[in-house]
Amino acid sequence: MGDLPPRRSVKRWLVTTNHKDVGILYLATAIAFLLIGGLLALLFRLHLLEPGGTGLLTGDEYNQYVTSHGLLMVFWFLSPFAFGFANYFVPLQIGAKDLAFPRLNAMSYWFYLLSGVLAVSAFFLGGSFAGGWTLYAPLNVPTYTPAMEATTGSNATVFGLLMFVISVTMGTVNFMTTIHRHRAEGMGLWNMPLFTWSILLTVWMMLFAFAALLAALLLLGADRVFLTQYFATDQGSGLLWAHLFWFFGHPEVYIVFFPALGIMFEAFQTFCGRRLVGRKWVIIAMVLVAVQSFLVWMHHMFLTTINLEIKTLTMATTIGISLPFDLMVFALIYTMVKGRVRFTTPFLYSLGALVLFILGGITGVFLGAIVLDYEFRGTYWVVAHFHYVMVSGVTALIGGLYYWWPKMTGRMYSEFLGKLSFAVYFIGFNLVYFPMFLAWETPRRVFHYSGDMTLWHQLSTVGAFVLGLSVLMVIATLAHSLRYGAIAPDNPWEYSRTAEWAISSPPPLDNWDGRASYASGSLEFVPDTPATDGGAVADGGTATAEAAHAGQEERHPDHASIWPFVIGVGTFVFFLGLSGLTPIVVELIQPYYPADGPVITVAGEISYLYPAITVLGIAILGVSLFKMGVEDFYVPEPRVAERWPFGGDLDDTKMGVWVFLASDVVVFGAAIGAYVFLRLHEGWASFDPIPFAAWPGLLNTYILLTSSFTVIMALVMAERGNKRGLLGFLGATMALGLAFMGVKAFEYGVKFSQGEFWFTGLEYTLYFVTTGLHALHVIIGLLIAAFMIYRIVSIDAYLEDERPVEFFGLYWHFVDIVWVFLFPIFYLM
Amino acid sequence: MASVRTYAIIYVVLLALGTGKFIFFTFDDIFTYEMAMGGTMVLAVIKSLLIAGYYQHLIEEPRSITYMMSIAVFMVFLLTIAAGYSIQ
Repeated sequence: MGDLPPRRSVKRWLVTTNHKDVGILYLATAIAFLLIGGLLALLFRLHLLEPGGTGLLTGDEYNQYVTSHGLLMVFWFLSPFAFGFANYFVPLQIGAKDLAFPRLNAMSYWFYLLSGVLAVSAFFLGGSFAGGWTLYAPLNVPTYTPAMEATTGSNATVFGLLMFVISVTMGTVNFMTTIHRHRAEGMGLWNMPLFTWSILLTVWMMLFAFAALLAALLLLGADRVFLTQYFATDQGSGLLWAHLFWFFGHPEVYIVFFPALGIMFEAFQTFCGRRLVGRKWVIIAMVLVAVQSFLVWMHHMFLTTINLEIKTLTMATTIGISLPFDLMVFALIYTMVKGRVRFTTPFLYSLGALVLFILGGITGVFLGAIVLDYEFRGTYWVVAHFHYVMVSGVTALIGGLYYWWPKMTGRMYSEFLGKLSFAVYFIGFNLVYFPMFLAWETPRRVFHYSGDMTLWHQLSTVGAFVLGLSVLMVIATLAHSLRYGAIAPDNPWEYSRTAEWAISSPPPLDNWDGRASYASGSLEFVPDTPATDGGAVADGGTATAEAAHAGQEERHPDHASIWPFVIGVGTFVFFLGLSGLTPIVVELIQPYYPADGPVITVAGEISYLYPAITVLGIAILGVSLFKMGVEDFYVPEPRVAERWPFGGDLDDTKMGVWVFLASDVVVFGAAIGAYVFLRLHEGWASFDPIPFAAWPGLLNTYILLTSSFTVIMALVMAERGNKRGLLGFLGATMALGLAFMGVKAFEYGVKFSQGEFWFTGLEYTLYFVTTGLHALHVIIGLLIAAFMIYRIVSIDAYLEDERPVEFFGLYWHFVDIVWVFLFPIFYLM
Repeated sequence: MASVRTYAIIYVVLLALGTGKFIFFTFDDIFTYEMAMGGTMVLAVIKSLLIAGYYQHLIEEPRSITYMMSIAVFMVFLLTIAAGYSIQ
């Protein structure tokens, strides 16, 4: 499918893979989740009008609303809103025609939308998750906590989040590849616009941070559905979750805030009429923050039992991370001082964001000090602080919406209405959040507070409604613009300096004719031919001229495919089904459940509809993945582009595979790390190997190593154009993979026959889940191998272009490397 | 890409190293638990480097790919070691 229907057609929005369309979808969907999350906030703010609650909500409803508000705002509104802009403008700013993998981009969007639908549908499936947005253990498991039973709804929240993280992983692979390999000729890294810089650093952080969350959610999902015990032990589980969650969670603060910061940089430059003061230092400061963001996570754990030495170290790194931010703040202030400020609506929002961020930042330094944190932790001080930080980011993002609105719609907005919305927004913001500092002694997450704080809470509730009104005013202003706004010129801002302003408003489907080039020192659109100047670039990078895709030069890139949407639907159905399996699993394992095991308090009703839904989801996924695999979808790689430092013989897909593998390293690493942590916590010597003998592990080591050899031989055969050899070695790889699974099944079977299961004890959980996760990778590899064999047999695939065999090999060898570590850990030590 | 001969030699070395891990823990009258664990980890690292370097052709890719994968491994060690140390 290649033809893209017109924008007025619903079909257009189901099939589009164009980055600008997907960007608009992200923005619209994020606003929808903002409204849902905001509505929940208004409801529980009303409940907070009186100490002990007004009676509007029950206790459990309050917990659900607070939890879902946090989850929806952090995951389904903030980052996706920013990535709406990133989708639309990063390719334009770097001179690319689209993202590197347009279908993957569309799939990422559909996973995002449907994961949010799954999370929201939790309210209608017995109740949403109610244990707080940080999902702390043991509130996140069905054992010990009768109020947190593994209802289908709360499982749906967790699986919604898991599906969202998969969406993020796909987005990360796409943006990493695009920004590193699709920059226009002459655009070195130093020359990239600051918004694009902020997105690049954001996706680098996402690559490692979200992988840790993915691992945590996989383990939590196993706990909730299969009753494993990662987060159900009486010791260690709480700390394990906190480590995994905050290893993700602290970088997440910057993942959320960096794009907003990028918009502030763009707006300040444009509306102060000058280049950002200290631009290179600002970039260096952002890089420093991205690195340091992974060194501070334990400041969220000062009140846990981690030792004082690590707390002190973390306090130092936390103070350290504030320093690069100081530089950025001063760069923005000095840019205003050195420039001539034009107080347009986007600038007002950006300036407002700066003011709010300074307040949020300073109040956060209090929490970074151990002794102060002992006092402030778990109070409204934390609530006020992180809202000042997070929602200052929202402020800048709304500024971005006004800033780029003329470009996206071709219409100007009313400055009067825009400024009015800002005034109401700024007043509302401070009215809702500042009183929380004054009422800081209120404990978080509960609606009981001291009577002398009633006034502050009532002011805060009024402020919430004012803030809500301002959001509606923003939407009304932009709706007014669509109907009555003047036609926007290509560049409505006098001093804008990035490439998106050099083309029409809105931009055409393929952005521009020919290709963008900065080789002459300024932006030009030149015929799409190889570089004529040898590819000299500013930052020591390399410009490559590839004559790839010979014979396809006349072909137009495809922009439409229905399969990303269908795959999203299949995944949604699969996770929906999975959400309702817990009661059935409980029923099945009850006879074998250890008497001294964690108490199961699940009261969910058994419904055999859910296994059927799960199977349906797998069926939809199977068909749609196959269909997408055989779909003829043309995406050209730019023949001339800046690719430093990911140039050389790499191509987009190979780089994408490597980025995915880097993410998978952290996923498996976190799972193995969880094993090491829990074993250390229990006492290293207290564990014995779970398998009945070491020899099945050794046998599987031989099998997997042999399969690695056959995969590499398959690549050799593909390069030689030897179809029979290729088929033979790929078939041998499949046979070895099946043999591996056979040995594993035998090994598991022996344990089951001895009455030992994944829920028998913690060490059993660790063994079955970690090796099971590896086995799942083997199964996925087998499915890919089967598909490739089908393609070789049916259309003689990979004989002229062997790269897919190499990509498959990269994955298969990775699975082998993981086993290199799993074998000694679980069979020998 | 390396030659078939190189791939075959690496395969044989990998099998030998895999067996080595097993031997460390089987002959516990020769190797203490700590020696076996240390030796096994060294062998595992060597095996991983061989597979990544030659079967995944990491040595032929731009060095930046190696750095990216190294950062990922570093993150795993950072999380595991820091978390493990925090409860000592």
